[in-house]
Amino acid sequence: MANSNLPRRIIKETQRLLSEPAPGISASPSEDNMRYFNVMILGPTQSPYEGGVFKLELFLPEEYPMAAPKVRFLTKIYHPNIDKLGRICLDILKDKWSPALQIRTVLLSIQALLSAPNPDDPLSENIAKHWKSNEAEAVETAKEWTRLYASGA
Amino acid sequence: MDSEDDMHDANDVESLDDDFYSGETEDAAPMDYYSDFVEDDDADDYYDDGDDSGSLECRRSEQSFTVLKESDIQERQEDDINRVAGVLSISRVSASILLRHYNWSVSKVHDAWFADEDQVRKTVGLLEKPVVQHSNINELTCGICFETYPRAKIETASCGHPYCISCWEGYLSTSINDGPGCLMLRCPDPSCGAAIGQDMINLLVSDEDKEKYNRYLLRSYIEDNKKTKWCPAPGCEYAVAFDAGSANYDVSCLCSYSFCWNCIEEAHRPVDCGTVAKWIIKNCAESENMNWILANSKPCPKCKRPIEKNQGCMHMTCHPPCKFEFCWLCLGAWSDHGERTGGFYACNRYETAKQEGVYDETEKRREMAKNSLERYTHYYERWASNQTSRQKALSDLHQMQTVHIEKLSDAQCQPESQLKFITEAWLQIVECRRVLKWTYAYGYYLPEHEQAKKQFFEYLQGEAESGLERLHQCAEKELQLFLNEDGPSSEFNDFRTKLAGLTSVTRNYFENLVRALENGLADVDTNGANSSKATSSKNAAGSSKGKGGRGKGTSRGSSRATDDNLWACEHCTYANAKSATTCHMCNLPRR
Ligand SMILES: [Zn+2]
Ligand SMILES: [Zn+2]
Ligand SMILES: [Zn+2]
Ligand SMILES: [Zn+2]
Repeated sequence: MANSNLPRRIIKETQRLLSEPAPGISASPSEDNMRYFNVMILGPTQSPYEGGVFKLELFLPEEYPMAAPKVRFLTKIYHPNIDKLGRICLDILKDKWSPALQIRTVLLSIQALLSAPNPDDPLSENIAKHWKSNEAEAVETAKEWTRLYASGA
Repeated sequence: MDSEDDMHDANDVESLDDDFYSGETEDAAPMDYYSDFVEDDDADDYYDDGDDSGSLECRRSEQSFTVLKESDIQERQEDDINRVAGVLSISRVSASILLRHYNWSVSKVHDAWFADEDQVRKTVGLLEKPVVQHSNINELTCGICFETYPRAKIETASCGHPYCISCWEGYLSTSINDGPGCLMLRCPDPSCGAAIGQDMINLLVSDEDKEKYNRYLLRSYIEDNKKTKWCPAPGCEYAVAFDAGSANYDVSCLCSYSFCWNCIEEAHRPVDCGTVAKWIIKNCAESENMNWILANSKPCPKCKRPIEKNQGCMHMTCHPPCKFEFCWLCLGAWSDHGERTGGFYACNRYETAKQEGVYDETEKRREMAKNSLERYTHYYERWASNQTSRQKALSDLHQMQTVHIEKLSDAQCQPESQLKFITEAWLQIVECRRVLKWTYAYGYYLPEHEQAKKQFFEYLQGEAESGLERLHQCAEKELQLFLNEDGPSSEFNDFRTKLAGLTSVTRNYFENLVRALENGLADVDTNGANSSKATSSKNAAGSSKGKGGRGKGTSRGSSRATDDNLWACEHCTYANAKSATTCHMCNLPRR
């Protein structure tokens, strides 16, 4: 079984995620693969995503924690740093990854990204352009998408 | 016999030269001829002070670069690290981290450090004391695997953040295998930033990873340093350090490759980097149109049978019974090219070639409707032919050095040291083909309306080119006769005199050409009378070419002569002062 020789670090992280969840974030391992997590992040208050419930998947590769976890939005979201496949542009998931970071820190960073979109370092050109040319309108679209796709149904 | 003595002198100079530069050439590769060549040159200039021609190349006599072998690079790097460690009173590991951060500039490290040591320490990650204290704890928890270990199984960088030995190994190894970024690695703790130096690497990773790290460190010293670059020749592992402020960008590596320090293209003196870049882009854009030029055979202009070019010089002789002798470049009769016939070497000139209608010679050319393409074709073909010719000369030179000289030495009963003139001739050919090649890129970009400059340029280029063709032909074809002989030949000494003379003459022509181009042809005004006279008589000769071109009175020497106080050398055509009894160019006596 893949789970039988699960590194102790992953077990400890999982236990802590379940026993002391970060506010607005839940992450639970899949039953048949302890390296695969179902994640939900609540849209932060005072952001266009407020009121939305966003589903993500998180996978810990074999090299973890020497390599970063792989994370992706499953819920459609209108955000300049997230593309239509749900991939996320976040430095700590790439070159700024350090094995001293954890699943918890990664998810908190993603939550923070929802509060502070960064159209200067975009993953989705079109959305970023929209954001920079007419922020109010882009925010409206993001709210609309949140209502349409992330209403937690 | 004069030349015999010269030969001895040259050898003496060579041996002095070896001592003079001993540090750099000892372990040179067998293909070391090019650097020998450059240093010979230097030596000539260096010891030739009595001779007024010695001052011509003063710029070249100061070598503006140093070729570095791996051991030299290591030594320099060590020296710099020790210097910084000494001056700043820090560890060698810290000095290495600092130098890497400031691109191996010792002065920048010093400046920054003494301006604001605290700021530098913070930026680079050199902590003075740990940020985490472990007050007498026997056990510590690793910040990566979360396991608890006895103190001895835990390592920390200067910051004190604890990680177990196996997590450190994973962390460092991942980074090393990720690329040269490992040289700027920090503590795994994202809030920390303490630099990880070579001491940690040596302590914690496998020998294989240590070796990789060392290579990155060595490479960084060359690649991140503004004063050094790798030799771009494929497979070459030497680097070159360049002295800032030198005007001559041409450097030659110990591997025999010469390149431009500034733009990393092959050496292109006397043409500037901008022209070279434009020319290379142009060649790429036109490459489809030009492929046929690179083909190695053309129809004989007389009998139309294809003839293949398998020699370096441009003098072609068709198969029997035709045996027509023609110029590979312009397809004109070779008899119009040689000085013996009193003709002129003018196939470097685009206009001349065009007027004579030689572009009708092949079908391809006829298809080239556009004038601009035709003009480009003219220059490109000459550029490419000289390139090919240079490659051929390089391999001939190599063959000469590895096989023929020894055989010739046996056959002619001459010590190899007495055959140095052959190698020198070939080295001169290789260098001249390179220069000549680039003058065609220069010519292409020379504005059409600058008539005086253009004529002056074409005159100098034509002189140099015809000299080179004579030299190349002599070294290639006349030498062949002696290579086929088993015993000594009475004509060998004459051959020596001729080849050595042609070498020296050709060198002078090319030095003139190089100097003129590097001056941007600025001398065109002062030499105006001289050059326009030469060019006009040249045109006259050119127009009579069609009628056979033989037996015309205008010898090259007299065309160069601006007054009656000069005499033209029979051997090399150089115009000498009337008072001289031997030719200033080739040292042969006046007849
Ligand atoms: Zn640290
Ligand atoms: Zn550990
Ligand atoms: Zn090299
Ligand atoms: Zn250049």
